[in-house]
Amino acid sequence: MTETADGHTGAGGAAPLPGARGEPDPHGLGVSVLPTDSYAKAQGTFPYAADLWAEGLLWAAVHRSPHPHARIVSIDTAEAAKMPGVLAVITHEDVPGDSAHGRRIADQPAFARDVVRYFGEPIAAVAADHPDTARLAAAAIAVEYEVQEAVTDPEKAFESEPLHPDGNLLRHIPLRYGDPEATGDVVVEGLYRIGRQDPAPIGAEAALAVPRPDGGVEIYTASTDPHTDRDLAAACFGLPPEQVKIVVTGVPGSMGDREDAALQIPLGLLAMRTGCPVKIALTREESFLGHAHRHPTLLRYRHHADNAGNLVKVEAQILLDGGAYADTSSDALAAAVSFACGPYVVPHAVIDGWVVRTNNPPSGHVRGEGALQVCAAYEGQMDKLAERLGLDPVEVRRRNAMATGDLLPTGQTVTCPAPVAELLTAVHEAPLPPLPKDAPEEDWLLPGGPEGAGDPSAVRRGVGYALGMVHMLGAEGTDEVSTATVKVSGPVATVMCAAVESGQGFDTLARQIVQETLGIEEVHVASVDTDQPPSGASGRGRHTWVSGGAVERAAKMVRTQLLQPLAAKFGMSTELLTISEGKITSYDGVLSTTVAEALEGKELWATAQCRPHPTEPLDEWGQGDAFVGLAFAAVRAVVDVDIELGSVRVVEVALAQDVGAVLNPRQLRARLEAGITQGIGTALTEHLRVAKGVVRHADFTAYALPTALDAPDIRIVKLVEERDVVAPFGAKAASSAPVVTTPSAVAAAVRAATGRPVNRMPIRPQAAVSSS
Amino acid sequence: MLPATLEEAVSALSAVPAAVPVAGGTDLMADVNSGHLRPAALVGLGRISEIRGWSYQDGHAVLGAGLTHARMGRPDFAALIPALAAAARAAGPPQIRNAGTLGGNIVSASPTGDALPVLAALEATLSIAGPDGAHRELPVSHLLAGMDILRPSEIVGYVKVPLLHAPQTFLKATSRTGPSRALASVAVVLDPMRRGVRCAVGAVAPMPLRPLEAEQWIATLIDWDGDRSLAPEALTAFGEYVAMACIPDPLPAGPEENPGPPPQLPPAALHLRRTVATLARRGLGRALA
Repeated sequence: MTETADGHTGAGGAAPLPGARGEPDPHGLGVSVLPTDSYAKAQGTFPYAADLWAEGLLWAAVHRSPHPHARIVSIDTAEAAKMPGVLAVITHEDVPGDSAHGRRIADQPAFARDVVRYFGEPIAAVAADHPDTARLAAAAIAVEYEVQEAVTDPEKAFESEPLHPDGNLLRHIPLRYGDPEATGDVVVEGLYRIGRQDPAPIGAEAALAVPRPDGGVEIYTASTDPHTDRDLAAACFGLPPEQVKIVVTGVPGSMGDREDAALQIPLGLLAMRTGCPVKIALTREESFLGHAHRHPTLLRYRHHADNAGNLVKVEAQILLDGGAYADTSSDALAAAVSFACGPYVVPHAVIDGWVVRTNNPPSGHVRGEGALQVCAAYEGQMDKLAERLGLDPVEVRRRNAMATGDLLPTGQTVTCPAPVAELLTAVHEAPLPPLPKDAPEEDWLLPGGPEGAGDPSAVRRGVGYALGMVHMLGAEGTDEVSTATVKVSGPVATVMCAAVESGQGFDTLARQIVQETLGIEEVHVASVDTDQPPSGASGRGRHTWVSGGAVERAAKMVRTQLLQPLAAKFGMSTELLTISEGKITSYDGVLSTTVAEALEGKELWATAQCRPHPTEPLDEWGQGDAFVGLAFAAVRAVVDVDIELGSVRVVEVALAQDVGAVLNPRQLRARLEAGITQGIGTALTEHLRVAKGVVRHADFTAYALPTALDAPDIRIVKLVEERDVVAPFGAKAASSAPVVTTPSAVAAAVRAATGRPVNRMPIRPQAAVSSS
Repeated sequence: MLPATLEEAVSALSAVPAAVPVAGGTDLMADVNSGHLRPAALVGLGRISEIRGWSYQDGHAVLGAGLTHARMGRPDFAALIPALAAAARAAGPPQIRNAGTLGGNIVSASPTGDALPVLAALEATLSIAGPDGAHRELPVSHLLAGMDILRPSEIVGYVKVPLLHAPQTFLKATSRTGPSRALASVAVVLDPMRRGVRCAVGAVAPMPLRPLEAEQWIATLIDWDGDRSLAPEALTAFGEYVAMACIPDPLPAGPEENPGPPPQLPPAALHLRRTVATLARRGLGRALA
């Protein structure tokens, strides 16, 4: 992605890309163009932030709170500062600008001053000439605490002493839609709990800060939202944003906001204080403590339906644990409340959602936040309703499925394609995987694994269905805008855009767009820094839609600049000329020239913006056109459960998804498979354990991610390509819909296999044991 | 320091008492890398070829402490000590099994060490080398229970395991399908010569637990001269016996003369007990099948 990465790919010229086996690389939209960085990543030469180096660099370490809630009586840095090799020790006293920062409201101190509010909150930072010295010095900082009782039960946060001057209630949305007094013939109730998923990026956070001669600082880090991170940091540094530059390095995995500001703010301050480059690379344990997690959520639901199974009313109470600081919790709550009924037509809804402050680990933007938690609850309710009415779970979903033109409980009309029933039918009609007894010659991987204790006689198979929905781009009036520049010089085009390639494939997409529009095969994507105009954070399909849209416009402008003189010369309009494989030809074949000749040695530049239609905030009753677009998915999960041990193995996941348009089939498939696999982790194993606010076992032995053996066979049954007319290319966000929907399908399948209610995620073995 | 013999390794440790011996390093290096452990020096045991294989002695296999899990998982080893081979195959992903050693598993004494319940059930004996050619033997259970500890400069050289020529099983319950730490594990070995069943339960306590009464009871039910089969009810009863012994009900809270109702175990402990019962039942059932 970065120039360095391209350099590496070039250096590895002896090992050509797979497409270069004598045949031309595929190019353009709708085909599987290969990413340029694959080889460098596979060979380990791709530079991530943890690989960066600068002459004379110092190492930073952060002193973190050992208590989830305590008053700070005193901070003594004298011992640490005296240690040989230590060049600077900083605390809250050394923050020249704003003392607090935050993505929505500035409520989070750069360094804790008189109170610590979560386990691992930064209190001080050290720069030293060796990483071990830095860590020892950070450990030598003596902080005297007056330990306070930690508020770790979000239900108690309403009544307990305020943990923050702003109070404990971060946001409350009381959504009222239709007639709150309406009742149905049948009522089903349920209580659901969702655990604390960690984004667990495969590369832990790292950064390098380099002081600038003008008093500013440059920070090299794998930010996925560089401009916001720069603004937060600049405010704390007391500098104008222009004096702080964030340079984005290779991103080693991203499920949300990749870096927490707690990393770059101490680092930048240390660099400016010492006048030296300063580097930090977090340990896995620190990474678990510092970055934002999925909101643990408690959901209480009551569904009313008529005897035919048509939904009448949904009542829900949704409580999100926001952790100590606001971060982006209000966005998660808006999604949770707006999608509380799921992709179903519900005439009446009474939904209350709260997000509260606690002393638990921080919560924030993790793929599908809000939407995932409510999906577990409304799909659990649909299974209950089917059971109560004696209906097939697929049938009860089909009867209520939403379509284009229906209303969300926020009062917003669904204007984009919403092929919900079609998706459900597709996964329902897909053939089921064979039972092992039908294929005895094949090895049956039992729950528990190849060396596990599984016993075929105790294994029950279950099939479960779930529908899910997510929104694209920012909601509630967020200004979405991206700016891109396209340059053509000789036979090469270059794209400059601050959209971060976080693994979602933006760089490849940008190349495809330029190839498609300009017919130039060799396209480079420049690395990202904050001197470029902002493009917003990666996630929610933003860069496919907004940044991709900007790249397309810029490329079209370049095309016009290139062809206009030729067209004028030959007296035809530019639409009659085509560019392909670097050659410009006219419709009648009279004109044929190369792009290089047409350029006459000039460089052509164009810059364009894309800004989707605006949205509005939810009003006091949770009503408003808050979303730009929606994406839907249907998932069928097939599981094997050892009902004596409660061990679960997902055998197969079938997915049908509303993707709008397929721009790169291989990349899309990879994103869908990754999303499904993450969903398996949410459903079965991923939960960061916390005892009274103290994080336990922050490592990958205790925090069990799905492995290759846990990943099921994935059957992508149908990709519905109904173009969303307001989106450039008509494409929808792809990654988060399977993340949101898969856990609920797994839960439904475990319900079917065991007859147990399964109302908690991850599904613990004791919830999957059954006597039948 | 990279000694080539056990003797050299012991001398190296005697010379630098602050040094820490390292074999596969799968536990130790994680602590070093995270900064929890800062050894003054390391004594690498990887070059000591004498402890990387095994030999036979008086009906026993004498296993080198440097045997890796990968080596123990191979079929020739499995034919000798099937339960230890099964435990070795279940002990983590290939990278860990290629590096991690039998001796390391014993000395780390992690509650979830997969080889440990097997060694406990086999009543293995450790052969320990000490300074000045000293040598002593120690039952593995004594070390794991903390009844005896390794003294300064001592190294576990060999593990002596009886060759029983009878079925053995090791079963492990985990939270995912891929390699992971045991939630509970059970080793069952049959000893037809002594007409005994030996069983050990791992991961539920700091050390492997031996349900001796359950072992003795079930051994009396087995027709050792016949087909050694047991009724399903007996297997189930054995499983429950083992589980109750390893995860007993808590004692009543009240005074002795007037005990209140026994406090209920939390659901997670009840599930663990059910898991142990299932593993013990399946383990014995498969050993007898």
